[in-house]
Amino acid sequence: MTPVESDEADLTRKERREQARAQRKAMEEAAAASAVRRTRLTQLGIVASVVVVAIVVVLIATGGGSKKSIPSTHERNSVVNEVSALVGGIPQKGNVLGSPTAPVSLQYFGDLECPICQKFTLGALPTVISKWVRTGKLRIEYRSLETATREPEVFKTQQVAALAAGKQNKMWNFVETFYHEQGEEDSGYVTEKYIQGIASQVTGLNLAQWTTDRGDPTLATQVTATDAQAASNAGFNGTPSFLIGRSGGTMSKLEYSNPEEPGFMNEAVEKLLKA
Amino acid sequence: MSARTLRITLIVLTLLGLAVASYVTYVHYAGIKPACTAGESCTKVQTSSYSELAGVPVALIGLIGYVVILASLLAPEGERARFATAALTVGGFAFSAYLTYREVYSIHAICEECVSSAVIMTIMMCLSVWRFLRGELTPVAPAGAAPAAPSAGAESAAPLGSAS
Repeated sequence: MTPVESDEADLTRKERREQARAQRKAMEEAAAASAVRRTRLTQLGIVASVVVVAIVVVLIATGGGSKKSIPSTHERNSVVNEVSALVGGIPQKGNVLGSPTAPVSLQYFGDLECPICQKFTLGALPTVISKWVRTGKLRIEYRSLETATREPEVFKTQQVAALAAGKQNKMWNFVETFYHEQGEEDSGYVTEKYIQGIASQVTGLNLAQWTTDRGDPTLATQVTATDAQAASNAGFNGTPSFLIGRSGGTMSKLEYSNPEEPGFMNEAVEKLLKA
Repeated sequence: MSARTLRITLIVLTLLGLAVASYVTYVHYAGIKPACTAGESCTKVQTSSYSELAGVPVALIGLIGYVVILASLLAPEGERARFATAALTVGGFAFSAYLTYREVYSIHAICEECVSSAVIMTIMMCLSVWRFLRGELTPVAPAGAAPAAPSAGAESAAPLGSAS
């Protein structure tokens, strides 16, 4: 073998060694990178598992279903302010909101547990109250008609509680608060505690007097006989339902398509004011 | 996307989320109506019993969350900082998912601010998890040349995690 051939052979061996080393290094790096990636994925997996457990705990603690829980203090304060701003300063007597000399009268047949009544009360009614009741042109009488409330006894209890607040001329505060905090239909949320909670949010209500007045048998009669008969006479079987007319005159049914829009009521009041 | 661009994008998103959470927290404590194009639905959500968790407003929890995420992003870049951001955003995403569930199935109303925050948090989670998984960017040495010193933001860099 010549010196040149010997050099070439050495170079080839050297190249092979270097190639092998580079290959080994690349494989080691790939293995290391793979290990790092596995570690990171494991870390994220642990975080995700902890987070999932935490959320499940929160869900269980706050009620997994759609049943509404008792309103928070903040929510209650907000409702009290909203209701006070809406009906505060407007004359009330019993179940009537508005001036006794208002030229137009409206009878609102509702069930405190009825979700559509809530839509009307929170949607269209505030406009009607500020536009017509506050200005002394309309008076609204709240009457009861059992629809959404499944238990007649519960219906009577909640409605009598509202009428008892009416004996202190605070029925509309009670009714508005009830609708603002209305729970999930058929969830059985209306308990004695719930009714007491509504009453406690009625500003200026003498709770001891209210408790006594709840036992007044004439209030129960008004719910089960007077209002029920009036609704039956008008042919109502759903809520909300309305009767409207000139005060002291004939009342007629007021139909609507969207209870959240005050348009239908505005038109009716305007028409009667011109009559 | 370079490490620097990714980090800046995450910081901008965090600041956006922080602004939304600050506004909602202010609305909660001031007892005023939030800006809303969907009628009363924002008020309904933000005054519902689900707007507080163990007496703490969820808006405040969100605000604190964004502040902590921002701190993790402003910390010196490293494995731990990237992990912290990823872990926090995974938590934030899960919390947003819980709140969205409450909006849809319990309150039956949607709050625009809440949805904005949820969208921001979702994008942040995707980006920060990707950032954590790809790890530190190391520059690729040109063929036949000695490895160059690492430089931040090298566009030719290959993700460490993708070497396998």
